[in-house]
Amino acid sequence: MTPDISKHLADEALNDVLIGLGSLESDAHLVRCPECRSKVENFRADMNLFNSASMAWSESRSGRPAEASWHRAAPRIRFAFVSWSAAVALLLIMAITLWRHSAVAPTNNINMVESQPLDSETQIAQDNELLQEINAAIGSDDESPIQEYKLREGPHSRLRPQSQ
Amino acid sequence: MATATLSNLRIASVYRRRIESAMAERGAVISELDDIDELVRVHGARIRRFVTCSTGDPDLAETIMQDTLLRAFKGRENFRGECSLSTWLTGIAINVTRDHLRSGRYRFWKQLKATAVDVHEMASLLPSTSVSPERRMLAQERIKELYRVLETLSYNQRTIFLMRFSEEMSVDEISEILGMAVNTVRTHLHRALKAVRSKLGAKR
Repeated sequence: MTPDISKHLADEALNDVLIGLGSLESDAHLVRCPECRSKVENFRADMNLFNSASMAWSESRSGRPAEASWHRAAPRIRFAFVSWSAAVALLLIMAITLWRHSAVAPTNNINMVESQPLDSETQIAQDNELLQEINAAIGSDDESPIQEYKLREGPHSRLRPQSQ
Repeated sequence: MATATLSNLRIASVYRRRIESAMAERGAVISELDDIDELVRVHGARIRRFVTCSTGDPDLAETIMQDTLLRAFKGRENFRGECSLSTWLTGIAINVTRDHLRSGRYRFWKQLKATAVDVHEMASLLPSTSVSPERRMLAQERIKELYRVLETLSYNQRTIFLMRFSEEMSVDEISEILGMAVNTVRTHLHRALKAVRSKLGAKR
């Protein structure tokens, strides 16, 4: 009796074979079916290639001295160093600015007050004269620009237009 | 009566030889564990490869490899010989990796900048065999493709896949090391295999 190899192994069964949990039936099928067998062999061949290359890569790194490892890490460390330096510099600038602002500003006020010259009697008299002139000018019969809008002021209200 | 005694003597002799062999093997392993330079020489590259492919970060893998071997050396009294030394070391490497991945410090540095595996460099280091340049180039492409597929898997799937197909551990050993049910390990392997085979199979 010729074995039926038209039915190939399902993916689940094939994966079980690769994992190492294949059934006796799966093993028997693989012996007969070249197509399923090639799937298993192809996967194993790919894994062998990968394992050989990755192991060679890892071994090549073992040969590198610590210095080489430092060189590999150097760009990362340099980047971190520059970032941290920039952050520290920024913080320092902010702190110095704040400190100077809080420490210097009151002193300036005091200086300003102190630096103002005391008004002399003559100066006060001149100022009063000027103010009186302004008062006289305002108190003249000239029409106020606000009257142009015909506004009236109530006791507890804002200015509102006068009723016609 | 004499036949039975002879048979018993033969059995005792076989057992004695097995015990002596096991003790010699254990003695060799213990002496290997006593010398940290030897540990690095024999197991360093294998652990580095495993952790690199598992985390995708070669610099982190270097740190983990050193931590693993140092921890193994310090705790060599705990090695009871119930599994092979490489399996025991892989178990330690997995715990050390887990600790690193959980630590906030690692996350911070990872966000800052992590190194990546140069897959072209890895593929180019394929040991030279007597094949044509075309076949060699195809093989390198398959290695790159396999690595890229592994990158798409979850951490658990990738680690378990590597434990089975690179470290050649059995499902039971993986289950014991990870503290996972055998069926869970199997499910992870099935999902990883499905992804790998569908990607690689399509390009063959």
